[in-house]
Amino acid sequence: MDKVIVYAAINTKIRVIEGEFLNREDYLNLLKMKSVAEAARYLKEHVSYSQLLGEIKPDTVSRRDIEEILKRNMIKNIDKLIHYFRGDYKNFIRSLYIKYEIEDLKTLARSIFNGREPGDIEKPLSFLGKYSQIKPEKLYQAKTIRDLIYSLEGSEFFEFLIPLVDGRRENLFRLEMALDTGYFNIIRSRRLKISSKDRDLVKKWEGLVADLDNIQWIYRGKKFYHLSPEELLNYTINFGDKLTYKDRQKMCYTENLEQLYQMVLASAYGFLFKKEELSTNIYMERRINRYIYYQLRELSRKAPLSIIQTIAYVWQFELEIKDIISIIESIRYDLPREEAKKFLVKVA
Amino acid sequence: MSVEKMKIMGIIGPQNILNKVLRVVILNGSMHMISALSRVNSADFFLPPTEKNITALEEIPFLKSYSQKRDLAEDEKMVNLFQELFDIKPGLKREYLSEDYDYDDFMKQFSDLYSQVLATTSEIEEKSREIDKKREYLNNLKYLTKFNLDISRLRNMKYLVFRLIKITRENYDKLKKNYENIPAVIIKLAVEGKYVILASVTPGTLEETLEKIFSSLNYTILPIPRDLEGTVEEVTEQLTKSIEQDQKIIESCKKSLADYKEKYINEFQKMYSRLEMEKKIEEVKSEIALGNQLFFLFGFVPVSSVFPLKEELERQFDDELIILIDDIKEPYSGITPPTKLSNIRLFKPFESLVKMYGIPSYQEKDPTVFFGLTYLIFFGAMFGDVGQGFVLLLGGLILEFLYHKTDFGGILSRLGLSSIIFGFLYGSVFGSEEILPALLIRPMSNIDSMLMAAVVFGIILLLSSYIFSIFNAQSEKNLKEAFLGKNGLVGLIFYLLLLYTIVQVFLIPSNKNLLPILIIVLVGLLFIILFKEPLAKRLFPSAKSARTLSANDYIEEGFGILEMLLSIFSNTISFLRVGAFALNHVGLYIAFLTLSQMISSSWGSWAVLILGNIIILTLEALIVFIQALRLEYYELFTKFYRGSGIEYSPVKINGRSSFEEKKSLEHKKKRMAFPLIIVIAKQFQYS
Repeated sequence: MDKVIVYAAINTKIRVIEGEFLNREDYLNLLKMKSVAEAARYLKEHVSYSQLLGEIKPDTVSRRDIEEILKRNMIKNIDKLIHYFRGDYKNFIRSLYIKYEIEDLKTLARSIFNGREPGDIEKPLSFLGKYSQIKPEKLYQAKTIRDLIYSLEGSEFFEFLIPLVDGRRENLFRLEMALDTGYFNIIRSRRLKISSKDRDLVKKWEGLVADLDNIQWIYRGKKFYHLSPEELLNYTINFGDKLTYKDRQKMCYTENLEQLYQMVLASAYGFLFKKEELSTNIYMERRINRYIYYQLRELSRKAPLSIIQTIAYVWQFELEIKDIISIIESIRYDLPREEAKKFLVKVA
Repeated sequence: MSVEKMKIMGIIGPQNILNKVLRVVILNGSMHMISALSRVNSADFFLPPTEKNITALEEIPFLKSYSQKRDLAEDEKMVNLFQELFDIKPGLKREYLSEDYDYDDFMKQFSDLYSQVLATTSEIEEKSREIDKKREYLNNLKYLTKFNLDISRLRNMKYLVFRLIKITRENYDKLKKNYENIPAVIIKLAVEGKYVILASVTPGTLEETLEKIFSSLNYTILPIPRDLEGTVEEVTEQLTKSIEQDQKIIESCKKSLADYKEKYINEFQKMYSRLEMEKKIEEVKSEIALGNQLFFLFGFVPVSSVFPLKEELERQFDDELIILIDDIKEPYSGITPPTKLSNIRLFKPFESLVKMYGIPSYQEKDPTVFFGLTYLIFFGAMFGDVGQGFVLLLGGLILEFLYHKTDFGGILSRLGLSSIIFGFLYGSVFGSEEILPALLIRPMSNIDSMLMAAVVFGIILLLSSYIFSIFNAQSEKNLKEAFLGKNGLVGLIFYLLLLYTIVQVFLIPSNKNLLPILIIVLVGLLFIILFKEPLAKRLFPSAKSARTLSANDYIEEGFGILEMLLSIFSNTISFLRVGAFALNHVGLYIAFLTLSQMISSSWGSWAVLILGNIIILTLEALIVFIQALRLEYYELFTKFYRGSGIEYSPVKINGRSSFEEKKSLEHKKKRMAFPLIIVIAKQFQYS
C-alpha cells in the first residue's frame, strides 16, 4: 500500500496526541512545586492530564499512583495507535510493548527474589501481559523465579527462559540477561516483516540504541560486576549501527577502564564520557536518553512518512513519564531543584 | 385456567431413617420444601396430642435447624476419577436409587478398589515418565553415534569434563567468532531448527569458567544416561529394551484397569446416581429441623400427589413416621404457598410468557388462558396471512419437536395457526389478496371498520379485566379495592358510564337531556375513589387495612385519579394498533409489489416479492409479537394481575440421562432470550 495512505492518518493522530505532552513551561512550573500533592494538583489542572487524574485526590496521592496513571495513559494511547495498523505492522507496533513489559517483569522478578509480596512493589507494573498476553494475576502468583518462568509458558519469552531451569541458573541475574537477549531477538525478527524502507530506518534506529546499550553494558560489567570478557561479549547485543563486532570484542577485551574510555572517546559516542564526570556515571543514562531523544527527533524529521513517527511517539512518552517521575521524586526527597534538573531528559 | 390446590405435608420421624425418607420424597418429586422451623412456629400448626405423637410434642420446643453440612468432596473425587478413567458418561438411573441401600456402606465398599485403581494409574504415570526420560536419552545418544565409544568413559574422565549441550544458532555464532578465547574443545554435532548441538571437553580446572561462558550463551544441557555402560549402540539397545519392558508393564496395568471396568461398570453408574442423590439430600436438609431423636420436614404437595406420596411413605416405613396433612388455611401464617400452573395443552406454552411478568400468587386466578386466547387473537388480527402463518407454524413445530424447545416452539406454532385463521378471514396469502376470497373483511378497503372493531374489542377486554380485578381483590378479601378501588366496581361503573356519555355526545346528538346527570354521577364516582379509605372504614368495619389518611395522602390520591383518567383514555386508544398493524401488513406488501412491478424481468420481480415476504415475515412477526405482548402486559395485566407468587419447584432428581440436563439448559437460555424481547418491547411502548 502507498505509504501516504498508511501514514497520513496515523501521523495526524500522533500530531494530535503529541499535543498532550507537557511543554517546557510545564516542566519548569512542576519543578517549582513544594509537595507531591501540589505537583499532582498541577498535573490535574493541566489540560491533558486532567481527565486522567480526575479520579485521584491530590492530597493523598503517592508517586506510585501518579506513575500508574501515567503508564495507563501511555498504554491507552499506544492501543489507540495499534488500531491504525494491519497485519505485520500491527505486530511490529505491538512489539514496542516488549521493552516495557520486560522492565516490569524484571521488577517483579526482583521483588520475588527479595521475598516481597506483589502488593509491596514500589513501581506499578502496568505493562505486564501487554505483549506476552499472559494474565498478570498468574504472574503475581509466582513465589520463586522458577514459578515465574513457568508462568510465562505460552509466551514468546518462554523459550529464552526455559534453559535456566536446571537448578543452577535460576537466579535473578541470568533471568534478566535472558530476558534482554530475548527482547533483542524478538525485535530483530519483527522488523524483517515490514517494508524495506521502514526496515532500514528501524535497523538504523535499533542499531543506535543497541550501540548505546552495549557501551553502557560493557562499562558497567567491567566496573561493577567484574565479568570475564567472554561473558561480557556473549551478553552484548549482536547488532549495532556504528559499532561492529570487532569494536565490541575489542571493548570487551580491554584490560582496564581507562582503555575503554579511550576507545569510546575515539568512537562516535565519545560524548558518553565527559572527562570531568568520569568518576560519576549517574548521568550516563541521562546522556543516553537525551541523545536518543534528539536522534529520534532528527530521524522523524528526515523521514516524515514512516514507521519512525510512531516509534518516536512511544519513546517520547516514556521519556516524559520518566521526567515527571524524576521531578516528583526530587520533590519528595527534597533535592535542590537545580540538581533535579540535571536528571531531566526533555528539558535542559 | 387454574392454580393447583396444595396441601401442607409434614413428616416427622426418627433421624436414623432421615436419608431414606428424603430419598423417597425426592424420587417422588412433588414436594415443594418449606422451612420446617417457620412451619412449626406458625399459628395454625397443630400436632394432635396422641400417644404416638408424644415424643414429637416434647421435642418441638427444642428444634434447631440442620447445620453440619456433609462433605461429599472425597466421594465426588472418587466418582469423577472412575468416570474419567473408564470413560463413563454420567447418567442418573432411578432404578439404582429406588433400591434399599445405605449410602455410607455402599460407598465404603469401594475404598479398597479406589486405592487400587489410584495405585495402578500412578504406576502408569510413573512408567510413562520413565519412558519419556529414556527416549530423551536415546535422542541425545543419537548425536554421539559416530564416535563409537564407551559412554561411561566420557562420564568418568579424571582430568577432563565432557558435556553435551544445546544453544541457539545466534549464540553459536557468538561462540564461534570468539573461539580463540574459549577454554574448551568444542565440536558441533548437529543443527536442529533454531538450535545447534555441541559437545565440549574441557580440563576440570577450567570447568567453572566454561560454565559461566555457557551460561551467558543460555545453554540447555542434554542429559546422557548415568548408570549404563557400553558403546552408544549397546546403551541404545539396553534403553530400547527397558522401554519395551516399561511398555509391557503399562499394558498390563491398563488391562487390569479394563478388567475393573468390565467388572464394576454397573457399580460405577450406581455410584454416580447415588452420589447425586446424596448431594440433593444435603441440599434439601437445609430446610428441615432436628430435635433430639426426631426430624421434622414440611412441604407443599399438590392435592393430586398427596395420596401417592403418603402411601409410598407408609409402605416403606410403616408407622415409624408421623405424616401430617393439613389444608392451607387463610390467612397464611407467613408461609406463601407456591403456585403450580396447570393448563390444557393449547395454552401451556403461554405460561412462560405469563411467568415472565410474574407468577400468579396462590389465591390469584391464573391468567394464562385469558392471556393465551387474547394473545392469539391479537397476533392473528395484526398478522393475518395464510402463507406466512404457515411458515410460522412450520418453524414452531420444528423448534418444538426437533430441537425440544417446547415453550418457544409451542408459542410460535400456535401463533402461526392463529395467523392462518385470520389469513382466511382477510383472504391474504403471502400478502397477496388476489388468490383467496376474504371470508370476513378486507382490511385495506375497510379502514374505518378495522379501527373501530379494534377499539371495540379493546373495550371488551378492558371490561373483562375490570371484572377479573374485582374477583381477584375479592378472593384476597380486599373488599375496599374490590368495591371502591379504581380497578374495582366503582372504577368499572365509571368506565361504563364514561363510554355511555361519549356515545351520547357523539353518536346520538339529538338526546342531550341526560348529559348533566351523567356528568354529576361521573364526578361523584371520582370522589368515591378519592375518599375510599374513610368510606371503607365505615362500610366494611371488619376488613383490614382501612387507615386514616393525612392531607398529603389525599394529594397523592388526587394525582392517582388524574393518572387513572389518562390511562383510561390511552388504554382504550391503544387497541387501535390491532387494526393499524393489520393495515400495515397489507401496506408493506403493496410497497414490495410496486417495487417488483417496476422491475422488467420476471425473475427479478419474483425475487423482490420473495425478499419482501421474508422481510415482512421476520420484521412484522417480531414487531407484532412485541406489540401484542405490550397490550397484554401494559393495558391488561396492570389492571388485574399482580403476579407476586412463587413458582412451585418441588425437590426432585432429574430423570435418567444427561439429556434432561441439556433440556433444562436450553430452557434457561430461552428464558434469557425473552427478557431481550421485553427490552425491545419497552422501547415500543414509549415510542
